[in-house]
Amino acid sequence: MAKQEIKLTVNGKIYHLEVAPNEILLNILRDKLFLTGSKYGCGIGECGACTILAGGRSYLSCLIPAVAADGWEITTIEGLAKGEELTPLQQAFIDEGAIQCGFCTPGMVMTATALLNENPDPDEEYIKDYLRGNHCRCTGYIAIVKAVQAAAEKQRQG
Amino acid sequence: MSEQETVYKIIGKATPRIDGPAKVTGKMQYTSDIMLPGMLYGMVLRSPHAHAEIISIDTAEAEALGAVCLTYADINPIVYNERSVSIPAATYRDRTVLPAKARHFGEPIAAVAAASEELAYQALQLLKVEYKVLPAVFTPQEAMADGAPQLYEQIWLGEEKVAVKNNIGVIRNIEEGDVEAGFAAADRIFEHTFELGRVYHDQLETKGAVCAPEADGSLTVWCTAQSIHANRQLLGRVLGLPLSKINVKKLPLGGAFGSSIQVNTVTPICACLALKAGRPVKLISSREEDFYSHQKYPSVFEVKLGVAGEGRFTAAQVKCLVDFGAHQVQPLPYMGCVAGWFASLYRYGPLRFLGTAVYTNKVPCCAMQGYGNPQINFAIESMVDIICEEMGWDSVEFRLKNHRGVGDEFWGQGPTIRSIIKSCGVPESLTKGGEIFAWKERRPHTEKSGRYRKGIGVARGFHTSGTGGPKEGEVIDYSSCMVKINEDGSVDLISALMDHGGGTWDAMAKIVSQTLQVPMRMIGLSPTDTRNTGYDVCTHATRGVYCGGAAVLYVTNKVKEKLLEYAGRILFEHPAALEIICDEELGQGVIFAKNYHQKSITIGEVAKIAQINSWGTIAYTDSYRQRNCPPCFTTHFLEVEVDTLTGEITVPKALLYGDCGTVINPVLIDGQLIGSFNRGLGYTVYESLDVDQKTGELTNKGLLVDYKTPTAAEMPAAENVLVHWTDTYEPSGPFGAKGIGEAALASVQAALANAVYNAIGIRFAKLPITPEVVLAALRAIDN
Repeated sequence: MAKQEIKLTVNGKIYHLEVAPNEILLNILRDKLFLTGSKYGCGIGECGACTILAGGRSYLSCLIPAVAADGWEITTIEGLAKGEELTPLQQAFIDEGAIQCGFCTPGMVMTATALLNENPDPDEEYIKDYLRGNHCRCTGYIAIVKAVQAAAEKQRQG
Repeated sequence: MSEQETVYKIIGKATPRIDGPAKVTGKMQYTSDIMLPGMLYGMVLRSPHAHAEIISIDTAEAEALGAVCLTYADINPIVYNERSVSIPAATYRDRTVLPAKARHFGEPIAAVAAASEELAYQALQLLKVEYKVLPAVFTPQEAMADGAPQLYEQIWLGEEKVAVKNNIGVIRNIEEGDVEAGFAAADRIFEHTFELGRVYHDQLETKGAVCAPEADGSLTVWCTAQSIHANRQLLGRVLGLPLSKINVKKLPLGGAFGSSIQVNTVTPICACLALKAGRPVKLISSREEDFYSHQKYPSVFEVKLGVAGEGRFTAAQVKCLVDFGAHQVQPLPYMGCVAGWFASLYRYGPLRFLGTAVYTNKVPCCAMQGYGNPQINFAIESMVDIICEEMGWDSVEFRLKNHRGVGDEFWGQGPTIRSIIKSCGVPESLTKGGEIFAWKERRPHTEKSGRYRKGIGVARGFHTSGTGGPKEGEVIDYSSCMVKINEDGSVDLISALMDHGGGTWDAMAKIVSQTLQVPMRMIGLSPTDTRNTGYDVCTHATRGVYCGGAAVLYVTNKVKEKLLEYAGRILFEHPAALEIICDEELGQGVIFAKNYHQKSITIGEVAKIAQINSWGTIAYTDSYRQRNCPPCFTTHFLEVEVDTLTGEITVPKALLYGDCGTVINPVLIDGQLIGSFNRGLGYTVYESLDVDQKTGELTNKGLLVDYKTPTAAEMPAAENVLVHWTDTYEPSGPFGAKGIGEAALASVQAALANAVYNAIGIRFAKLPITPEVVLAALRAIDN
C-alpha cells in the first residue's frame, strides 16, 4: 500500500514517518519509535493496555490508524516522568501496591492521568467508572482506585 | 532506642516493589517487547474444524511471497506433554509440535514467518490445506459413548504405550477406610451434583516467544514462561539439541494464573520456525488465539456425604468427571489434586474419590489458580452449607469442629505428596471473621423480601504451599539459587525462580536482605537464564515464597557462614562471636564483635579484603527441596445483594481472611487476596466458555468483549473490602512464611453461592450464576 508521510510529536520529540494507511498507531509507537511501554493486550479496544494521551485525553492507540494521528502531540507512558522524577500518580501506583504483573499498568496510568486532567477531585464511583475500559486481571482494582485517590489528594495539595 | 528496636527488620514491612519504577514508566521489557535485528514475524494457521485429518498442506504460494513455512512434515514428530512438573512415569504424552490431525477448533496446524506481520498474515492466507473432516465430540458423555469418534488410538504414559478406549484419558480412583461402613453409620446422607464450566485465564500478556539462532549453533529464547528450565528441556528434545545449546531467558511475565506452567504451544513452533529460517522469529499470540490455547479444567462432581446427629461426618464420596479437551496437560495429577483438596478439607472418616477424565474436541485444559481446588471447594463448601441448613447447625461452628487442622494430614499434591499440618489459622479466621461480619446476627432468607435482598455467606478453603513432602512423590519440587557478595557489600541473587506479578522476587530479595542485613537497595536480582542457573521446577502450586524462598534462605545462610568466617580471620574473632547489623544510612551490613561493638567491619570491606588476599568470592550455590507442603488457609465472609428484578448479583461487602504464616510483605498479601476475590467474582457470576455444538468454535470467538470479567466498577467500595490475616507461624517456612496465592481464590465461589442462598433461598449448584440463571430460578419458584 502506498505510504504517506505523517508528523507525530511524541513525548516532546518530533518524528516524520512514512506509514501505510493500514498501520496502527500502537505498532508505530512500539516497532518504529521503540516505545514499547504501550502494550498489546487485544488489538481491538477491549483491554486498554495500549492507552496513550493526546491533548491530555486518553486514546486507545490500537484503534487509531497512524495516518489519522498526523499532527498529533502524543504522550506515552515513557513521557510522563521527568527523568527519574515520577508523577504523583506513578508514585502512588507504587506506594499503594497498585502494580502486580505490570502489563496493564502503562495503560492504566495513562487513563488515570486523563481522569485527573478532567476531574482533579474524583470520588470512588467516578474513578471506577472511568477505569472500566482498562482491564487488570491481577489486582482486583481496589489498590488502583486508592492510588488515583492518593494522587488526586497530592495534586490538590500542590 | 533500645538495642532491640535498632535491629533491622524488613520481613513483614510494607516495602515498595523493586520493579515498581520500571513497570510504572513502561520500561519493563516483556517477551513481546524483545526486538532483534533481522527479526521475522511468525504467525500460526489454526484449524477451522474441531476434528479433521490433514491430508495436505501446500505452502508453495506462501513461500513464493518470501515466507518461511512450517508444517507437520518439517517438525521432529516426538510425542510430548507440554507440562513437565510431574515425574515422567506419571505423565501422559499425546502431542507433537504441529499435529497430523486437528483435534480442536483453533489448534495450530501450520506456521509462517515473514519480514513483517502484514506479509506473514498474507502468507498465512495463501497456505492451502486439504482436510478430511471427521465427526467431533464436545461432551464427555458423547465422547465415552460406544462408537463415538476417537481422538486417539494410542498415547504414551512415560515410556509405555497406552491404548485409549472410549476417549477416556485417565481414570483415577482413591479410597481410604471402609466407606460403606461409614455411610451405614450415618444418620443422614446428603447427595448433590455440582458443575463448574470452562473459564479462561485472561492473563494480560498473551502467550508468545522470540527465538534467535546464534552463531555458535545455539538458540536463545525469550518466552512467556513460569519455568525457564521446563522450556529449555522440552525444546532440547524437540529440536534434538544439547541443553547447553538452548538458552531460555528469565523475563517478567504479564500475568499467568497457571497458563504458562506448561511450555506454551507457540514456543516450540517459534523455535522450529527460527531454526528453519536461520533468523530470529517473534511469535506473539493474538488475544483470540490465546483463548484457544488453554482453559481452566471444568468439572462435574457428584458428592455424597454421611453425617451423624452430633455434628460430624461419617463418610464421604466424590465422583468427578472432567472434560479436559484435545490434549493432556495433566488431568492425571489434576484428579489426584482434586482428591487431595477434597480429602484435606474435613475429617470425614473414610473417603472415596472416583475420577474420570475424558478427551473431547475442545481446547486443552490446564491449571488455573488452584488446580481443581476452587472447583471441589465450591462443591464441598456448598454441601456444608446445605447440611448445616437442613440439620439446624451453625455452619461456622460445624467448620470449627470438623476442619483438618494442626496434627492432621494434608495432601499437598494428590495422594502421593502428604505432610502433617503444623500451623493453622482456621479457628482464628472463622471466629474473628464471624465477629467482624456479625455472623450470629445473620437472618434466614425467609425473613427477606422486596426487590433487593441481601445475604451473608461463608466458606473456607486453602491451598498447598508447594509440592514437597517428606517423601518424594509424583511431582518434582526443588529450587536452586546462587547468592554472591560483591566487593562493595552489595549482593547478587541469581535464581531461575519466576515471578508472575505477585511479587515473588521481592520476597526473595527481602529474605536475602534480612539474613545478611544488607539494605534492599543493595540487593540485585540478576537478569538470568537457563545457562547460569540451576533447575527450578516452576512457580506454581503457591510454592514461590515457601519453596523458592526456602532455597534462597538456605543458600544465603551458607554465604553468611563464609562471610563470618572471613570476617573472623580479619577481626581475630571466632565467627560465632560475630553478628551482622544493617546500617541503612551507610548502605551496608556491618559485622560486629558481639558485646564489643568497637570492633567492626563492613560486609563490603570483608569482600574486598577476601578478593585482595585471593581468598575467593563470598558466594554459594545449591539446590534445596522443602520436605513439607503446609496448607495456607483462607476464609471468606461475603455479603451479596440480589436484584430480584434483573437477576444481578453484587457484593456490597467482603471480608478476605488469609493465613500465610509470617507475612513477608503486607501490601502484596492484600494484592493476592483482593485480586483473587475479583477473579472469583468473575468465575461465580460472569465467566463461561461455550462452544458451538456443530463447529466447536468458541461462541465468544475469542473476544474479551463477549467474555465478561469483573471491572473496577463491579468491585465493592474500597472501604468495604476488608483484608485480615491470622497470627500464625509455619515452623518449616522461611521466617515462618507459607504461601497464599491460590488459596486466596479457593473459597470465594462457595461463599458467594452460600450468600446468594441466604439472600433468596435458592441454591445454585452450577457456575456461573448469571442474571439469566437467577431470573429463571426465581420464576420457577413463582410458578
